[in-house]
Amino acid sequence: MTAMDCSKARSLLPDAQRGRLSQQPNLELRAHLDTCRACARLDAEERTLSDLLRSRLARPQASPAFRARLAARLAVPNDQPKPAPKRSGWLRKHQVSVPLALAGALAATFLLWSRATPVGMNNPVLREAVNDHLRVLYAAHPIEIENGGLHQVKPWFTGRLDFAPDLAFSGDDEFPLLGGAVGYFIDRKAASFVFKRRLHTISLFVFRAEGLPWPREPQRPMAHVQAQVGSVNGFSFVLWRTRDLGHALVSDASTDSLLQLGSKLVVAR
Amino acid sequence: MSQLEAEPDVHTVASDALAHLDALYAFACHLARDQALAEDLVQETFARCLVGGRQFTAGTNLKAWLFRILRNVFIDLRRREGRSPIRAVSDVPDASEEQVRTLEQLRGDVEIDRLRRLVAEDIQAALHALCDDQREVVLLDLEDFSEQEIAEVMGCAAGTVKSRLARAREALRARLWEYAR
Repeated sequence: MTAMDCSKARSLLPDAQRGRLSQQPNLELRAHLDTCRACARLDAEERTLSDLLRSRLARPQASPAFRARLAARLAVPNDQPKPAPKRSGWLRKHQVSVPLALAGALAATFLLWSRATPVGMNNPVLREAVNDHLRVLYAAHPIEIENGGLHQVKPWFTGRLDFAPDLAFSGDDEFPLLGGAVGYFIDRKAASFVFKRRLHTISLFVFRAEGLPWPREPQRPMAHVQAQVGSVNGFSFVLWRTRDLGHALVSDASTDSLLQLGSKLVVAR
Repeated sequence: MSQLEAEPDVHTVASDALAHLDALYAFACHLARDQALAEDLVQETFARCLVGGRQFTAGTNLKAWLFRILRNVFIDLRRREGRSPIRAVSDVPDASEEQVRTLEQLRGDVEIDRLRRLVAEDIQAALHALCDDQREVVLLDLEDFSEQEIAEVMGCAAGTVKSRLARAREALRARLWEYAR
């Protein structure tokens, strides 16, 4: 095996840090970083930069008022005048075609939008859980550590989170565990795990629950804990807390399936 | 695949698109650096999405498609303002490879810890000091898009994304080191 030079190593760092590098080049890169102080420093800086961007860069959320205004605009039929916007925005200033465009396309969207903004989505915890599940579905590489058993997955989180995820269920034939990753849940780090249920992808997010506005959905027993169960935007969810940790299961699988998996998760603890 | 899947219903596309509202809004805020303007950009993005929803190919990445629309809306805005759409010059010069290497050798773990203590305002200021195309590529990378997806959003080659991202992050690090001193 030829030793890797600095130029090659640096070109591979981005893919390695995003979990997109195959095993052999990754091993060669690790060997180079073990011996090259400058490249190891760059690796550390890049990781620090990624961490800073993910944890500290403001990620503004659309306000409920904007969300509602957008929905209302889309819901107003063609022959009804819309109220004038309160401020003089770029759209109005430049007469961009929102009202005209929407009028033609949206005669039948009232039901769509009323369905797409259910009460539950106004809760930040639920909204984040569903959005994070969508990120898992859309991400090219949602898993950073493949499941090789809990003895492999759980230690991987050490040093990457400020808490220990209380996962003790490593999957079974019914709910195979594919792996895990570190992500963010609203303003804090979270462990995310990906399970399968036949063709359905199920996301489990574990995060510190302190200070989060927990939704007020009705509670149902799930093994020995009380869980909040429901569905928003076509996704089922099950939320529960144990001590200071919050847990969110989200999937397009049925709520019964999620309750089954949730029971296995809490019983195995 | 059925014909229905091949030609998606515009309402279904719009419904799915709403799930990306926060991501689109955050991207728009960092592009426009103004929340009111960001709302306008997102609003126009949804309008174009609804009008052109049938152009979306089922099974491809809806989020990337929406981000491409939003970016085009932003470029249109720049053009209306008479500004070059994405070629504004960054005020952070590129360091030569030799300079970068020398700097790296000087920095110890203690100094990297200084980077870690930077606050949100520093990170945002450094990001916003980048030129538009560099800021875009950093933000799209943060959204976990692949290089190919970023290339499709930005309308360039995947190789261009790689080099552009490397230069953007290098400029970001240079700026943040200044703040961390």
